[in-house]
Amino acid sequence: MILAILFTNTDGNILVERFHGVPAEERLHWRSFLVKLGADNLKGSKNEELLVASHKSVFVVYTMLGDVCIYVVGKDEYDELALAEVIFVITSSVKDVCGKPPTERLFLDHYGKICLCLDEIIWKGMLENTDKDRIRRLIRLKPPTDA
Amino acid sequence: MAQPFVKKDDDHDEEEEYSPFHGIEKGAVLQEARVFHDPQLDARKCSQVITKLLYLLNQGETFTKVEATEVFFAVTKLFQSKDTVLRRMVYLMIKELSPSADEVIIVTSSLMKDMNSKTDMYRANAIRVLCRITDSTLLTQIERYLKQAIVDKNPVVASAALVSGVHLLQTNPEIVKRWSNEVQEAVQSRAALVQFHALALLHQIRQNDRLAVTKLVTSLTKGSVRSPLAQCLLIRYTSQVIRESNTNTQGERPFFDYLESCLRHKAEMVVFEAAKAITELSGVTSRELTPAITVLQLFLSSSKPVLRFAAVRTLNKVANTHPLAVTNCNIDMESLISDQNRSIATLAITTLLKTGNESSVDRLMKQITNFMSDIADEFKIVVVEAIRSLCLKFPLKYRSLMNFLSNILREEGGFDYKKAIVDSIVILIRDIPDAKEIGLFHLCEFIEDCEFTYLSTQILHFLGNEGPKTSDPSKYIRYIYNRVILENATVRASAVSTLAKFGALVDSLKPRIFVLLRRCLFDSDDEVRDRATLYLNTLKGDVSVGGSNEDVKDFLFGPLDVPLVNLETSLQNYEASDIPFNISSVPKEVKSQPLAEKKAPGKKPTGLGAPPVGPTSTVDAYEKLLSSIPEFAGFGKLFKSSAPVELTEAETEYSVNVVKHIFDGHVVFQYNCTNTIPEQLLQMVTVFVDASEAEEFSEVVSKPLRSLPYDSPGQTFVAFEKPTGVPATGKFSNLLKFLVKEVDPATGEVEEEGVEDEYQLEDLEIVAADYMLKVGVSNFKNAWDSMGPDNERVDEYGLGVKDSLTETVSAVVDILGMQPCEGTEDVPSNSRSHTCLLSGIFVGNVKVLVRVSFGIDGSKQVAMKLAVRSEDPEISEKIHEIVAEG
Repeated sequence: MILAILFTNTDGNILVERFHGVPAEERLHWRSFLVKLGADNLKGSKNEELLVASHKSVFVVYTMLGDVCIYVVGKDEYDELALAEVIFVITSSVKDVCGKPPTERLFLDHYGKICLCLDEIIWKGMLENTDKDRIRRLIRLKPPTDA
Repeated sequence: MAQPFVKKDDDHDEEEEYSPFHGIEKGAVLQEARVFHDPQLDARKCSQVITKLLYLLNQGETFTKVEATEVFFAVTKLFQSKDTVLRRMVYLMIKELSPSADEVIIVTSSLMKDMNSKTDMYRANAIRVLCRITDSTLLTQIERYLKQAIVDKNPVVASAALVSGVHLLQTNPEIVKRWSNEVQEAVQSRAALVQFHALALLHQIRQNDRLAVTKLVTSLTKGSVRSPLAQCLLIRYTSQVIRESNTNTQGERPFFDYLESCLRHKAEMVVFEAAKAITELSGVTSRELTPAITVLQLFLSSSKPVLRFAAVRTLNKVANTHPLAVTNCNIDMESLISDQNRSIATLAITTLLKTGNESSVDRLMKQITNFMSDIADEFKIVVVEAIRSLCLKFPLKYRSLMNFLSNILREEGGFDYKKAIVDSIVILIRDIPDAKEIGLFHLCEFIEDCEFTYLSTQILHFLGNEGPKTSDPSKYIRYIYNRVILENATVRASAVSTLAKFGALVDSLKPRIFVLLRRCLFDSDDEVRDRATLYLNTLKGDVSVGGSNEDVKDFLFGPLDVPLVNLETSLQNYEASDIPFNISSVPKEVKSQPLAEKKAPGKKPTGLGAPPVGPTSTVDAYEKLLSSIPEFAGFGKLFKSSAPVELTEAETEYSVNVVKHIFDGHVVFQYNCTNTIPEQLLQMVTVFVDASEAEEFSEVVSKPLRSLPYDSPGQTFVAFEKPTGVPATGKFSNLLKFLVKEVDPATGEVEEEGVEDEYQLEDLEIVAADYMLKVGVSNFKNAWDSMGPDNERVDEYGLGVKDSLTETVSAVVDILGMQPCEGTEDVPSNSRSHTCLLSGIFVGNVKVLVRVSFGIDGSKQVAMKLAVRSEDPEISEKIHEIVAEG
């Protein structure tokens, strides 16, 4: 299960937050945990360099894309490598939508499209689509080229 | 829930920083949503409003029921628009709003229409939305379409239906299970993602049918899986099949060739998954491990942090069970200590600590010292724990490891970190006698500058217990008395108690301690003054407590003899009056089961012969429990408590298990009883024990349990006398006897009249292994050599035909109840001979070491040579007798 996807700006303010199967009372805890994790480790990291952490049976893979920090949390079958796959799809789709690694402004300008991409990539905690070109077409309701 | 996280600061007014959602407010956006009702829909404007609504929802903002309903109805109007971008937004928005059952009906027809649309993309999305919001009645209506969609030639449609199936399986399993033929077909799809989703769904549908899963794995491992993701799933399912079919450890393992072939796959994900699966096989041999370790070693130097992390994490786990297999990677691992990612570095360090040998310790410690300064506390704790295990493994290295611990103790750090260090030092002091003085000295230094009251008091308490037993107790006094001068009241009070302990236990120090205690009489805090007065008067003999010095010590520092919980309750109920509080009025019976069998989760034996640290607390708890029962007070020190043995089947009316407590001349059975019938209250619960098949035992005490209400466990005890120091064995049959009273579960009212009843329990045995404590030695060879050959007894046994050596070794280990050392309980598969090293302490505190060699010939005849060394030649003989009888 992919438990959470979180996008923040460099100050740790939330841009997008999606949880799957995480009880409401634990979400705030997760949010602050992830933001702190990013604050401790993302500074100075290279663009799109993947960082990884694990706590008990839960894995976190996170990265910095332009001015946006992205966190993916998973457990069970979504271990660090599966999550790396997920975050790779997310970063490439976001870059695709924004045209380059986004500033915060650019990210917000394309907010709707990014939400649609996420909807195509993750379906209630499961990875659904992995190819950015296909996702780009799907969010415009165009059939994929390999169909 | 809603947190205004991105209400951006107003002073960020540069164009670049300006957010399109600047100053966004829920009320205003809901107003804007009225454009959805316009007869001439502006698709662009509507998309923008939906984006804003999504933004609000993604911030954790919530809509009230009324707001959500209103937005939902408005959004359904947008189905009229033909704009594709808007339609895509609408699908997402409906899912986000997750409308209630009575609202769903509004969109059902629109979605059904889309589901049958000619445009594939409409179909895929409509399926996803419908499955998200549907209930089972609607589902049966659309089931036909979903089945078709699963085998649709458009992969997007097929995937949408399959992933929906995975989710629907949770809520409507009986419907989804009917789709297995279609799903089966989809597994053969040429589209990689469809195959991945279909495989996941098919496995979930069949997961409880072992045969079906085996068939699935057998057919797919022959090679028709394209997608790396699906391949990973297949590897997981395969290792599940291997686990479940693990009947023959001899010979080739089924599907191992498949796993091994995956190690050569082009996708790293698949390679890693296969390597991980191999390392997790039960009873994996070094030959099987080698190829997996080799690829993991390559990953260690990968440029991708995630791969490095995955590899080092897996190797870290392997190091717990097969440290030797991982040593090849040590060089790569050492270079990871400087890895940018601290998680990777910490895992590398702890793996190295597990696999390192005695000679590499010093070099490793040097590297860790540099590393410690730049990691966070939670990583440091992991390292401290690893160092503690290392020290227990190589006790001779205690000096450098203890020095390391004391150095980091002096540096900055939070409470949990400092506590982990102090705990480690305490454990090392306890287990390595040579380390005691140096360890105590480090602790003394630490409390000189310790900011945590809890730790200071713990250390002072520990000093009071251990300090007086050292060669020169006087040198600790200065540190303790400094606390009285410099600290807060809690620590001062602890320090006074510690001083008094030194005074009580070391006669030569007594006069000087009295001088110091007298100074404490003028302390500003009353607890400190009270303690000082109490200790001075009792230790000097001004106030008489019992007859002898021992009585005084027992009064001051002995156990309370009553459970703390009961004491607390009694004190709270006590009302101040002329009658002083009397501690003997506190009930000694423990109300509920104190030990809810809290097994440390996930704590696996290291197999390195390090003494197990975990169970001590359980033994302590039993000791406390038994010492609170006056009838057992004369039995002396508790030697061993067994794990609970179930005497009833699961889910019976009364559930009873028994713990066997072994004393030198007595045995106590602790029956833990639970009443699972709400309508009954049991009273005067006893176990009638028939010991006719245990001739050397005679019953001395039976302690009934007064009352056993529903679902609140209680204990009854039966004690037997047995010849002192003799490992007497026998069989006991048990009959539970009680008075049963009816209870009205609604009101809790109990009927006055009760009926006597009884309940047959299963038999219980005392075996030789009950007299053996599993205590490992860190270096078997040293221990063996130092024991000397004088008390050695050697004999050979023919064991007849056995299936395998593994089974024989574990049988012998079980009969003796000893701790296997240095991982020798694992027999490499197919080996023809094996030597197992065992260590333990026999009743009467006699250390016993056993070296047992096995050999198996072609006709499966097993021969065993047993060499026993112990501190007492009679015990060595006895071990042979036990084996001969077993």
